[in-house]
Amino acid sequence: MTDYLQVQNIHKDFSGLKVLTGVDFAVREKQRHAVIGPNGAGKTTLFNIISGRFKASSGAILFKGQDISGTPTHVRNRQGVARSFQITNVFQELTVFENIRSGVRSRKGLRYNFFRKPDNDRRINERTEAIAEEVGLKGVMHVPVSALSYGQQRALEIAITLSTEPELILLDEPTAGMTREETAHAINMIDRVTAGRTLVIIEHDMDVVFSLADTISVLHYGKILVSDIPEKIRNDQRVKDAYLGEE
Amino acid sequence: MISQKKASYLFIALLFALGVLMPFVVKKYHLNMLTEIIIFALYAVSYNLLLGYAGLLSFGHAMFFGMGAFTVAVSLIHFPGLSMWNAVLLAIAMTTAVGFVTGGFLLRHKGAYFALLTLAFNSLFYAVATKWHKITGGDDGLSITRPDLHLGFTTIKMAGLTNFYYVTLLVIGAAIVFCWYFTKTAMGQTVLLMRENEERMKFLGYNTNISRLILFTFTGALAGLAGAFYTLHFQFVSQSAISVDMTTTVLLMTFVGGTGTFWGPILGAFVYIILQNYLSDITDRWPLFMGLIFVVMVLVIPGGLSQIILSIRNLASGKRNTGKPVAAEESSS
Repeated sequence: MTDYLQVQNIHKDFSGLKVLTGVDFAVREKQRHAVIGPNGAGKTTLFNIISGRFKASSGAILFKGQDISGTPTHVRNRQGVARSFQITNVFQELTVFENIRSGVRSRKGLRYNFFRKPDNDRRINERTEAIAEEVGLKGVMHVPVSALSYGQQRALEIAITLSTEPELILLDEPTAGMTREETAHAINMIDRVTAGRTLVIIEHDMDVVFSLADTISVLHYGKILVSDIPEKIRNDQRVKDAYLGEE
Repeated sequence: MISQKKASYLFIALLFALGVLMPFVVKKYHLNMLTEIIIFALYAVSYNLLLGYAGLLSFGHAMFFGMGAFTVAVSLIHFPGLSMWNAVLLAIAMTTAVGFVTGGFLLRHKGAYFALLTLAFNSLFYAVATKWHKITGGDDGLSITRPDLHLGFTTIKMAGLTNFYYVTLLVIGAAIVFCWYFTKTAMGQTVLLMRENEERMKFLGYNTNISRLILFTFTGALAGLAGAFYTLHFQFVSQSAISVDMTTTVLLMTFVGGTGTFWGPILGAFVYIILQNYLSDITDRWPLFMGLIFVVMVLVIPGGLSQIILSIRNLASGKRNTGKPVAAEESSS
């Protein structure tokens, strides 16, 4: 079985500051892979490189066997890669519905048309509604984002990520800033909506990681310390020293 | 209760009907002014698509207006027998090409750099119009005679104002209605979403650079169409059509009307042209008074006249004025 996503020897310097110093890991199709590590380990930088926000200083990203290291962000999305953001990054002035629809119509190829109105496209509007329902936002579909609660905004963040029907979903700390209760609720939802898709997730919250992921990579000082199944990670002495032991 | 969509269509039909009746009601002097208002309304609407909808502050919109105006004059002079349609189409083709090429250079930069570069490009075009005397007439300008309109089965005389007014109402009116329709289309919404959060759009599969270039070119072509009718209306064009003053004019029209709504700039063009006409009758120093009025307006009601109207409407219907950019709200309906 070939690897679905391969991250090969990724280095990233920010004007001399070495953030990533040779990251290697692979994710298989339909796997749920978590990347954990202490603050400042370079997790979000790694996500930015996989999703195309930054270019790596060196190394390669292979998606379905194809090198995508040089492809622009929007092309990567069309190839099936989508991400969420740690700090909610949505269209604040618009409604929940319009937020989700932006991705749905992009996926259906209705991006730059000068004549067709998204309002009149039943397929697009139905799919938008279905996604809103999946993440539990159907009741507030026509409410502007600025009026949503924090938990709802986080759910919207995931809904937008799902809206382009991605094959590979990258979630950057989806439960950041949530209460225990909200987190439990979010894990449940993420588990449901990402079923059958390949997931890479960055998380701080160990409950989230151990309940969602079936493989884990530990990022430490810009390198992958170890990649393995959760049970092995839990008992790995290096991981305990580097990360888990601190808690 | 009729839906908002139906109400919009009804409103447009009403405006057109009113426009058709105007030549029977008003004097020639006012019809002249009305023709000018319609032409400038398209110019202002095209500018607001850039400023209000896409959030791009350009100081170079006159280069498209002027390019359209000069293309019509130059082509009518150099190709005798050229029809009015072909002259207008040539102007649109020319401004589309210029928009695409200059957009390619200008849109590499953002914010203040973009604004300053558009100003520089506008000045460049102005310098060419002034110095290239042989083609543009330089300081003297170019005079043309409005060609008659051949429709195949009949010919409409264009020498008089009334017929030209109807053609303007139909063509420019249709262009403005299309702009309004455009704001509801996929591309129009894409522009709005990009203003809200360009980065997220990239992560949703949108090529934001191409989108901006398409919009810039589109608004340039619209301004070119307005410019083409400007020349046909006055049967004269000089370098003032492509000057930075002409950019300031559209900027003021748009601000006076308000960037927050689609129809604000149309109202702005209306008020601007009327004020200009009456003030210039009273005093030679009319630009001073125009300037004062605008300073006061921008300071006191930054949302423009459309904001006042919306506030009154909201007050009447008991809704609270949120003070948010209305373009976003309007398009969601």
